Amino acid sequence: MGKSPTQVLVVDDEEDLELLVRQKFRRRIRDGDLKFLFAHNGKEALEVLEEHPDVYLVLSDINMPVMDGLTLLSQLADGEQDIQAVIVSAYGDMKNIRTAMNRGAFDFLTKPIDFNDLEATIEKGLKHVQALQSALETRDRLVAVKQELDMARDVQMSLQPKEIPDSETHDIKAVILPAREVGGDLYDFFYIDESRIALVIADVSGKGVPAALFTTVTRALLRATSSKDYSTPAECLTRVNELLCESNPSCIFITLFFGVLDIRNGELHYSNAGHNPPRLLQADSQIEVVPQTKNIVLGIQPGHTYNNDQIQLRPGDTLFLYTDGITEAENLQDEEFTESRLDEKLAGLAGASAERVATEIVDAVQEFVGDAPQSDDITCVVARFRPDPS
Amino acid sequence: MEEKAKLSVEAEQSDKATILIVTGRVDGSSVGILESAVQEQINAGNKTLVFDFKDLSYISSAGLRALLIAARLTQKEGGKALFCALADHIAEIFEISGFNEILDIRATRADALGAV
Repeated sequence: MGKSPTQVLVVDDEEDLELLVRQKFRRRIRDGDLKFLFAHNGKEALEVLEEHPDVYLVLSDINMPVMDGLTLLSQLADGEQDIQAVIVSAYGDMKNIRTAMNRGAFDFLTKPIDFNDLEATIEKGLKHVQALQSALETRDRLVAVKQELDMARDVQMSLQPKEIPDSETHDIKAVILPAREVGGDLYDFFYIDESRIALVIADVSGKGVPAALFTTVTRALLRATSSKDYSTPAECLTRVNELLCESNPSCIFITLFFGVLDIRNGELHYSNAGHNPPRLLQADSQIEVVPQTKNIVLGIQPGHTYNNDQIQLRPGDTLFLYTDGITEAENLQDEEFTESRLDEKLAGLAGASAERVATEIVDAVQEFVGDAPQSDDITCVVARFRPDPS
Repeated sequence: MEEKAKLSVEAEQSDKATILIVTGRVDGSSVGILESAVQEQINAGNKTLVFDFKDLSYISSAGLRALLIAARLTQKEGGKALFCALADHIAEIFEISGFNEILDIRATRADALGAV
């Protein structure tokens, strides 16, 4: 029980409509199924509605003193509440009925009122009101869900690292252009100690809140495992993988490149868990694919031991980490940006600052894509090694 | 208005296994088609699945995840999942991600059926 009765407001300056309603609906009124409120003109009706914001159906006569039914209709149409009105008019009064319908009346009844018609019309009105109410509730819920998703994305974006200030030995810049949906890509960089900088790029399978959570957890685990007792990138990944595998029933996985650049000598130690291999842009415009030992994506194979690799950066060399949001960005002709376009563009940027490389590559991708919708995050991390500023 | 179907999955029964011929692109927006095709076979009691990828043009990480789930589901039912006829660029995706280590991949459909 406990369900409050549906309320209907009846507006008429004469008693006959009120009497008819009280008489004919007495059983449903007594059962608490329906409740009627009464007003004697448009102005009174508005006052009643103000007091009872849960009334969504109004039955109103047209000719009344103070404020007539048609004016009441206009007022209802201007109001914030979605109130449905049924107009009662003299038989054959098509002019007023037309005006009423044009002003948004839901239906009309003619006098003398036929009870069956009255009951059917009220039922129809109430059904319509309920459908409207539930549509509004659904919309409100959807708006709430969307707001939560937007918040999730904001939280995720706010977790991206603080800038690392340019120094004489290195400059680092990352750019992420998130697709509309929360999810996908992750990048990070941080000092492991005063001479070594961790560089991370990753792409989680799928999108939405589960993917975003997985990404956030991965980032936290990686930071935690590499800040305490850091030994090698591979050992960190082996531990992070173990922790991620512990509870991952939905088989989400993440591809992740974890590199540690030693800014004293340009050595890059790294371990690549199934991520597309980064590029090494050399000072002389040569481009090398950072080679990788066999490893598996993170999160699905407990007990896997990750492998380390190592390359040497020379002064002026730039490391370019990216996600497939760059190479697989599609234009309106369904063509992809591709690795060859990426390499070609990179070759023209040898020796440029990390900031310029990141910006120009992302600009080139956007220019290529044109008006096609962005379906995936576009992310890159650029690190330039330049120990000798002279 | 709807663009042409970019993914289709066709099932063929052999005496040893159900062959799923996957044609087109598997990505975030089409992966549902692959997932329901797999679920349909599992529900029908077909627990040994051979995925024929000769006409698979692209697979995203969402697609790889669906394959992993298919492998786990069939395993749970006491069957298995095999994957065959990968084009070079698809094989490369499997290699980079390490999925060639955890999924059972065979060169041809005949090889896959032989390994059932």
